[in-house]
Amino acid sequence: MTTTSQLSSADASIARFEKQTSRYGRNTMLIGLVLSLAGPIYIAFFSGLEITGSMIWVAFLAVAGTFGVLWFVEPLTYFPILGSAAMYQAFMIGNISNKLLPAAIVAQSTIGAKPGTKRGDLAAVMAICGAATVHLTSLLLLVGILGTWLVSLIPADIIEVARLYIMPSLMGAVLVQCIVAMKSLRPTVIAIVLALLMNFVLVPLAPTLGMFATAIVVICSILFSWLLRNRKTTYSTES
Amino acid sequence: MTTQRIMAAGDPTSTDIWALANSPVLWFCALGVFAVIFVQCILYSRAVKKAAPHVDMPLAEVKESFRAGAVASIGPSLAVVLVAIALLALFGTPAVLVRIGLIGSAAAETASASISASTMGAALGGDSYTQQVFGVAFMAMSLSGAMWMICTLIMTPLLKKGGNTLSKRNPAVMALVPTAALLGAFSALTIAELPKSNVHLILVCISAAMMGLCLYLAKVLNIKWLKEWALGIAIVVSIVAAYFLHTA
Repeated sequence: MTTTSQLSSADASIARFEKQTSRYGRNTMLIGLVLSLAGPIYIAFFSGLEITGSMIWVAFLAVAGTFGVLWFVEPLTYFPILGSAAMYQAFMIGNISNKLLPAAIVAQSTIGAKPGTKRGDLAAVMAICGAATVHLTSLLLLVGILGTWLVSLIPADIIEVARLYIMPSLMGAVLVQCIVAMKSLRPTVIAIVLALLMNFVLVPLAPTLGMFATAIVVICSILFSWLLRNRKTTYSTES
Repeated sequence: MTTQRIMAAGDPTSTDIWALANSPVLWFCALGVFAVIFVQCILYSRAVKKAAPHVDMPLAEVKESFRAGAVASIGPSLAVVLVAIALLALFGTPAVLVRIGLIGSAAAETASASISASTMGAALGGDSYTQQVFGVAFMAMSLSGAMWMICTLIMTPLLKKGGNTLSKRNPAVMALVPTAALLGAFSALTIAELPKSNVHLILVCISAAMMGLCLYLAKVLNIKWLKEWALGIAIVVSIVAAYFLHTA
């Protein structure tokens, strides 16, 4: 008797929790979405920069060709781990795999709750709230105030060097991090060969390709990685 | 000059990104995003506190979860701060706070900006990086970030109903596509830096080597924080090297 009534009251309160957080989550995310677009719209169209709609479209298409697949795949990937309430938090706060997931797991193990259980889900949501509070505060103080002040102190020629060379300084490390995290040899080799071909053979021959170079490499990487995938495991199911 | 900053009256050919990128309107929008996330946290915490007693979760455990999450994120947050400061000169403070600090990540957002700049025949940070290029890049990376949120908003309710069929029916595609996409994107962007100059070539190698070294040491010596700080360390070492190579 007691266990069933306890169970149903637990289920009802979790159902209420899910309904509440879905509503809060959707609404806050919509406001965040509007605010995050308001700034760039103001800069692009109301600051006299003579930016045309077609410039934006071409740039957006090139970015879409590169990251478009991830817009759909990432929410699919994280949903089973995060649950619906935390989805609305995670995709607004960002840094999901390197910060929010570890925080959630640490919190669950601290109170001894298993992931996927009701206690585990609630602990994860609280952990993300805690992580967000620390993250927002440190960004505001250390980047917003201290960082802006620091940059104004640093001599202009060092800032100039940082601006000129930030891309190679960032990308070399990002590529290595990506290769190590993915741990898949074939797609790595395919991607690097395609990127070398694009930048040292195709772009010099046809410079207009440069606009969509990254998008083309991404799409071909997906295609060739799929065609040349290791079929040993799929043979057994197909035959 | 002061009126220019308030009105953000841009000049398409000017390379003074900061005059535009730190305009009060952008600050207002950036702080708005921060406020929205704070409000979301408060609403969520209240909902958790209400539901917890019904699932045999005492309030002490709710508080403990919050504290554990907060403490666990100190290291990663400071690592993000270091990378964000390195990108301030490129995008200005408000754009860095929203795009790199929050919604996106340093790698994806800088990649989007670089791709956008190349569609205009420009390169991030160089002489061709004008206010106009910044405007287009900022718009394109924000639109890309918006698409992530729109997909989350549309797909979460559907997934909740149990429509997660693609990942169940074809897990191989689900694993392979993002892996290949990310490797393709970062390979293309990294290798595009190589032919720009000898300094670029050397810096890509230094940055890649530093990341490799950090990840190797983190694994061999079992130091977890080194993995989080690896990107920041690689950037700082490369920029210092850039200064000596550039002035040499």
